[in-house]
Amino acid sequence: MISVSKLLCDLGAEGDGLRYDAADESEKAQIRERKQRRPVVVWNCTKQCNLYCQHCYAAAETEPAPGEMTTAEGKRFLDDLANYGAPVVLFSGGEPLARSDLVELVAHASEAGLRPVLSTNGTLLTAERAADLREAGLQYVGISVDGMPERNDAFRGAEGAFDRALEGIEASQAAGLKTGLRYTITEANADDLEDVVALLADRGVDRFCFYHLDYGGRGADIQDVDLTPADRRDAVRRVCEMTREYHDRGHEIETLLVGNYADAAYLVEYARRELGPEQAEQVLSYLETNGGDPTGERVADVDYQGNVHLTQFWQGYALGNVRDRPFGAIWEDESNPLLSALREREEHLRGRCGDCRYQSVCRGASRLRALATGSDPFGPDPQCYLTPEERGVDGADRPATPAD
Amino acid sequence: MTEASSGQAADREFETRVDDPRGDRTRAWELFLRESPEDPLRHAGSVSAPTAEIAREQAAQLFGWTAGTVWLCPADEARRFAADGVALSDRADSTDPADQPEADRNGGAES
Repeated sequence: MISVSKLLCDLGAEGDGLRYDAADESEKAQIRERKQRRPVVVWNCTKQCNLYCQHCYAAAETEPAPGEMTTAEGKRFLDDLANYGAPVVLFSGGEPLARSDLVELVAHASEAGLRPVLSTNGTLLTAERAADLREAGLQYVGISVDGMPERNDAFRGAEGAFDRALEGIEASQAAGLKTGLRYTITEANADDLEDVVALLADRGVDRFCFYHLDYGGRGADIQDVDLTPADRRDAVRRVCEMTREYHDRGHEIETLLVGNYADAAYLVEYARRELGPEQAEQVLSYLETNGGDPTGERVADVDYQGNVHLTQFWQGYALGNVRDRPFGAIWEDESNPLLSALREREEHLRGRCGDCRYQSVCRGASRLRALATGSDPFGPDPQCYLTPEERGVDGADRPATPAD
Repeated sequence: MTEASSGQAADREFETRVDDPRGDRTRAWELFLRESPEDPLRHAGSVSAPTAEIAREQAAQLFGWTAGTVWLCPADEARRFAADGVALSDRADSTDPADQPEADRNGGAES
């Protein structure tokens, strides 16, 4: 997760302490440094969902799936996470609001010392449930909207999903919950990016997370609508430009890029061109502290049945199951050669990721995409859009001319 | 296959069930690796695959760079018993009211 607004506009946003060790610089509440060594844990607490989105990494279903953790199991799992020192639990799904015990679980997480946040399609978020979640200690709600109404509804498999998501956003805001947008950029919706931000910014939303498509679950089946490298580069440039334009107008929106750490390298290059070498070095320093792609290290995933995954998108492989073994024991068990290698992946990366000078801020980006397209967990990420000059593989110290 | 979660005490009773359904509706396969002939065979997680052949392909992609031997076992054929009494799935069958959600689980999706 890369905060474009922080890096380009120096916005002190809540959460930066987790992403950048920038706690000393921000005026807002930060997560304690002690806990930053532990992963943020995504908990897909149910597989059930009321929508059927084309890009769903969890391949969620409209009916409940067997083996879902019960309320009591969930509470013990949350205690387990808290004891391990996980800083944040992200309730996801499926659609987490399909669990009628969600408020109870959020309250338990909060009381255990975790920072509970929610990822939802927003369509089930009524004013009453939003108020209950706020009361339970929920800290943040990320609501998925993937385009203006027509495109969003087609993508999400339900007419009216856009309007209901907006109602959910309003309910969340009315309850006093910090509320943000989640937007997965594809060829199908890239053109709507600015319009969606404008519409929601007018409604008081001030945090916008743009996701690159990862190739897990149903996301693996729609690689044909993924952005081309040129279009991806253009979309990221537009996010940068849009962020700076809003800030120049005094509207300090927070924008983040998620799921492709080639963006980190791009931001350094962008800052060098647009803001000068001094800020570029500062951006690079922040990103090096951040550490690049977090798979298997700073982010973990536990599915509805308790299986522990390397990231929320990589549901096809599990390290173990919290019904067998505490989460921390699974996560710390580096006798698993894949887990161990991911944590020292610089020694294993091959192809264009193997000799890139931005390895320290990218770390090969998505290993899942490399696996899905090249059958090699240490091969190149097909979404990399950096030029050879930017990657420093032609001997050039810096790109001779801006590529965009 | 029977696997104890801990070798701490030989006299403990292996009675805690931890064999609730695993993985996706796609079949899950427990994966065991040996890196070199002198190494022990070690559990290394599980893959989801509809057939043994696809599971083998996935295991080869994930671990072919290091593993000399791969064993695959259908997760639904594995019998797992924990000795320490704290395995979570045992509580899935509990009649303790605290284990039950406050309302019917399907209700939330229709609200």
